[in-house]
Amino acid sequence: MLKMNSNSFIEQIRPHESGKKHVSGHANYIDDLAEPEGTLYGAIGYSKKAHAIIKKLDLKEVWKSQGVISVVTHKDIPGRNDVGAVYDGDPIFPKKVEYFGQPLFAVAATSTELARKAVLKAKIIYKTLKPIIDMKEAFRKKLFVLKGRKIKRGNPLEKISKAANYFNDSFTLGSQEHFYLEGQIAFVIPQEDNDFKIYSSTQHPSETQQIIAKMLNQKNNTINVEVRRVGGGFGGKETQSFIFAAICTLLSKKSKRPVKLRVDRDDDIIITGKRHDFHADYEVGFKDNGIIEGVKIKLLSRCGISPDLSGAINSRALLHIDNAYYLSDLLVENYLCKTNTSSSTAFRGFGGNQGMMIIENIIDNVARYLKKDSAEIRKINFYQKNKKNITHYGMKIEDNVINKIYSKLIKSSNYKNRRLKIIKFNSNNKYLKKGIAITPVKFGISFTTTHLNQAGALVHIYYADGSVHVSTGAIEMGQGTYTKIAQLVANELGLSYNKVKVSSTRTDKVPNTSASAASSTTDLNGAAAINAIDKIKQNLALFVKKKYKLRDDKAIYKNGTIKFKGKVFSFNSLIKEAYLNRVSLSSSGFYSTPKIHFNNKIFKGRPFLYFCYGAAISEVLIDTLTGENKTLRVDILHDHGRAINPAIEKGQIEGGFVQGAGWLTIEEIIWKTNGELTTHSPSTYKIPAVNDMPEKFNVKIFKNINKENVVNKSKTTGEPPLMLGMSVFFAIKDAIASVGNYKVIPKLNAPATPEAILFSINHIRKNYEK
Amino acid sequence: MTSSIVKFIYKNKIVEINNPDPNETILNYVRTKLKKTGTKEGCAEGGCGACTVVIGELKKNSINYKAINSCIAFVPSLEGKQLIIVEDLISKGEQHPVQKAMVNYHGSQCGFCTPGFVMSLFAMYKNYSSYKEEIIKDSIQGNLCRCTGYKPIIDAAKSLNKESKVDDFNRNKKITINLLNKIKHRNISIISGNKKYFAPKTVRELQNILKQNPNSKLISGGTDVSLIVTKERKDLNSLIYMNSISELNYIKKKNNFIEVGASTPLINFENFITKYFSDFSKIIKRYGSVQIRNICTIAGNIATASPIGDTLPLLLVLNSQIVIKDKNKTEILPLNGFFISYRKTKLKKGQFIHSIRIPFLKKDIFKAYKISKRIDDDISSVCASFCIEINNNKIKKIRIAYGGMSSIPKRAFKCEKILLNSFLSNQNIDKAKKLLEKDFKPITDARASNKYRMEVAKNLLEKFFLEIKQNKLIRLNA
Repeated sequence: MLKMNSNSFIEQIRPHESGKKHVSGHANYIDDLAEPEGTLYGAIGYSKKAHAIIKKLDLKEVWKSQGVISVVTHKDIPGRNDVGAVYDGDPIFPKKVEYFGQPLFAVAATSTELARKAVLKAKIIYKTLKPIIDMKEAFRKKLFVLKGRKIKRGNPLEKISKAANYFNDSFTLGSQEHFYLEGQIAFVIPQEDNDFKIYSSTQHPSETQQIIAKMLNQKNNTINVEVRRVGGGFGGKETQSFIFAAICTLLSKKSKRPVKLRVDRDDDIIITGKRHDFHADYEVGFKDNGIIEGVKIKLLSRCGISPDLSGAINSRALLHIDNAYYLSDLLVENYLCKTNTSSSTAFRGFGGNQGMMIIENIIDNVARYLKKDSAEIRKINFYQKNKKNITHYGMKIEDNVINKIYSKLIKSSNYKNRRLKIIKFNSNNKYLKKGIAITPVKFGISFTTTHLNQAGALVHIYYADGSVHVSTGAIEMGQGTYTKIAQLVANELGLSYNKVKVSSTRTDKVPNTSASAASSTTDLNGAAAINAIDKIKQNLALFVKKKYKLRDDKAIYKNGTIKFKGKVFSFNSLIKEAYLNRVSLSSSGFYSTPKIHFNNKIFKGRPFLYFCYGAAISEVLIDTLTGENKTLRVDILHDHGRAINPAIEKGQIEGGFVQGAGWLTIEEIIWKTNGELTTHSPSTYKIPAVNDMPEKFNVKIFKNINKENVVNKSKTTGEPPLMLGMSVFFAIKDAIASVGNYKVIPKLNAPATPEAILFSINHIRKNYEK
Repeated sequence: MTSSIVKFIYKNKIVEINNPDPNETILNYVRTKLKKTGTKEGCAEGGCGACTVVIGELKKNSINYKAINSCIAFVPSLEGKQLIIVEDLISKGEQHPVQKAMVNYHGSQCGFCTPGFVMSLFAMYKNYSSYKEEIIKDSIQGNLCRCTGYKPIIDAAKSLNKESKVDDFNRNKKITINLLNKIKHRNISIISGNKKYFAPKTVRELQNILKQNPNSKLISGGTDVSLIVTKERKDLNSLIYMNSISELNYIKKKNNFIEVGASTPLINFENFITKYFSDFSKIIKRYGSVQIRNICTIAGNIATASPIGDTLPLLLVLNSQIVIKDKNKTEILPLNGFFISYRKTKLKKGQFIHSIRIPFLKKDIFKAYKISKRIDDDISSVCASFCIEINNNKIKKIRIAYGGMSSIPKRAFKCEKILLNSFLSNQNIDKAKKLLEKDFKPITDARASNKYRMEVAKNLLEKFFLEIKQNKLIRLNA
């Protein structure tokens, strides 16, 4: 149970706790840590085939290469040769190669440059097998990483067949590279007793610890993982960091020296998994007014070589296939396709965004079929307050604000007028066309694997000066969780912010943590810290009761004082007094999310504690001769509950939007038919740069308070704002539709690159002129 | 005078390095030798800006501050310059106005890209007196941030308009200029293990070195050459650095042409050319980031002969010539015909590009277009350039060239031929569009498919004529 300091909530703008260090180059990332003498540097040799048997791995020249001290292969692994978190399937060094870029061996040398030169000298003889790169081919050949599933509500087939209107089509969504600015890195220092101290840029230190312990056949208490900060994660360091930490530890074990493994950007992109691309074949039946009667979707996802997190990701896609819409009759068949590409993995949105895009595209097409404004059709299908409020997985939506957000945004952004102006602009302009679209977001918060919704914390108060030290399982990766947890702790103890320090996250301080993921990091870890404080407060209350005969379980902690009924103490003096009277000023804390439960077998339950809501309206301009495009204006209204730090939440909303828009427009992952990735550097894979930001970018906050008992009654922002970027895609589609006078439904898959846009325009021209 | 000691100014002291490894990047030097880890490696190819440092260069009696990518610049290129890294901006415990603004406007989230942004904004702060949105965006278009979406960074930069222009670099300017004067360029000649490096100061010296070391690679901006070290993991055993030759850093207006010296940074050319060919300047702005344009040259773009070198189709239709020299001879060649095959040119061993001549156009209309997935700092899928003279609706002269359509940047001769002396009609334009299929057989790669390339090439031709007919620009940024 979360017991908050109910006397005061905070809404306090503060710079990021590391802001001053970031701007002066004093924030240390792993590559910046002081290195013990004798530190070696690693590099990985990987497969240049996507599917092959290794006939011979000749490393003689590698060993001889300048500066090389040690080389490791699968033969050096004493325990489990796999870094799969939930399932096996991600070998550290495989015998049979399953994707282009799969690690085969690694070296430790006296410098990173020498190590990277050395790995190129391996002589590898492959027996090549045919790779499966296309997910549809994998589907046809029934190659899956996990068993698929079918979810159903009502009688979709009957509803579809009887509906007044019918439509079927397919839709494809592209993959996405995380492109965290700090590449994958690990730094391992051997300790006494064969213990290892591991610095890893990871979102999941506990799993790193477990995987390395299993790899070495050692106890978990011999492995200590520490993370101070991560230079961007976005899901790309939830499981994808493991293999680097594991290989680095192997090199350290074999060479008996500290080893740092910093992966080159191209190698990083080639080796690690990306966002799942999805393909949907769908049928939809709907009324003349646009209300959806029944939907049937066949949903394929590219999972790469192994299950990794694909089960949970596809599950979240299914849980968000409704987005904000009430779908009374629904059938989804979901297939997890196995391809010879790196194992697709977590990425902000975690499948939810893919599910949402599919229904958004269906709704958009329904509106275009009916020649109506898609904003109306979206609205008419929304979940309602008192009826039509049960999701297809049986959860009652109790906190619905989407109708309010949507209407408010349509009004404040002058959507209707602007839309008319755009239609007029388009009829007056032959080559440049404008488009506009509004899309809603409803995103469920909690890990859908229920047991992961727990967190621990460790809080110390030092009697000498009353300063506070906090450790949790939270990973600071830019989302500001350390700042927010420090603010929460300061508020709970009634202290100024600068008396609280949140320190690096370590498996020897807080054990058994969940990944910093699912947007839940501050919700869980902040609550655990508050729980620890509550225990210390109980110690103090007991002490005060004994010593001063004052009975008050609800003492007020404020402005450096502690107010018991009948007596006010200064914080520092009571702390000191408690210490002298041998009262513990330190406690661990724990939190587990209440209310949630989910039966994955029957796909029913309440997987989420609450929902985050938001909506975005985007206006774009496209060039119909080239497919180039530009986002002219974006208006966002987003619900973050009572934010601990509104500036941090705003940063998440803006950044999430741009990342989501990037996914759906310029970011394109391309594999050759032999499985080789062609987009593995900033010169071939383009993430949004400054001129991709909308020309006008209005971000407003929907005033709300979380109904559920979440820290500060806030709502997280992490993932949900990414989905606001969907509006850009549909605005582009709207602009394309204008080429056919809105009479032909554009065929447009994501990402909407200039090429995709031009070809979609061609399709319209062909069909319109008929 | 020739020396093996590279000298530069760091923290207002002269640093001397004898025979440094000429393949060591400034980034690695800063991180491993200076032991300052604020400067980050994000990509090691000049594509993300996390490694941005600022170089101070003496210019008359002032200092010109240039943001550069330290990941693709080698240590000896510091010779005669001032090195400024992110840690140096704090003065007596006080943060620089740029740093304060980035903190106060929440410009950092994960923080890894932040030092690079700070340095790009610092260079902007030093080089401009006011910071309009356009200048801000140009200054940071070479810095990638995956967290913020850029808005708070732009807000931070805008807030600098209210800040004092006086900082420590300003206060110490005289001292720095004195020091820079003391270490004014000498010829640099380095031998480090099996690697040689030369940074001649004069053309004459360059000619001698090239004669003695005909297998050397010439390097200016190094966006291509440096990647041999950072990506291909090979050594560059003999390098000749062009950018110390100040006699080649010039733009001259002659009677019939503009002459651009081989070591002239693109950014200088872009500012100059805008009043003659505004599209040329627009293309260069999208050619690369400020960090790239600060050190790269047109000569480098020509010599690497990349099929997607963005200045090349433009120079081709402008009928540019290149002045080529070796020890004894000077040759003037038309750029058209200079490219032989993929990344191969007519440049022979011992020769170097001295300068580029761009004729003035009298009645011609010049236009250029660049198509890429991203607006900023992206490689073209297609770059098109056109030059035309029309008289009474009749095409009197026409030159068309494309990048990204072939293994070399190339004129569209068959297309030109059918248009020459024909009337400006839709029918003729359609015919010309069709003929592009005879001129080019583009490929499919990460940037675009062959189908798209061909179609967009045709459409750009159409767009060019549309813009002429309608006498207005049909562009997203018009």
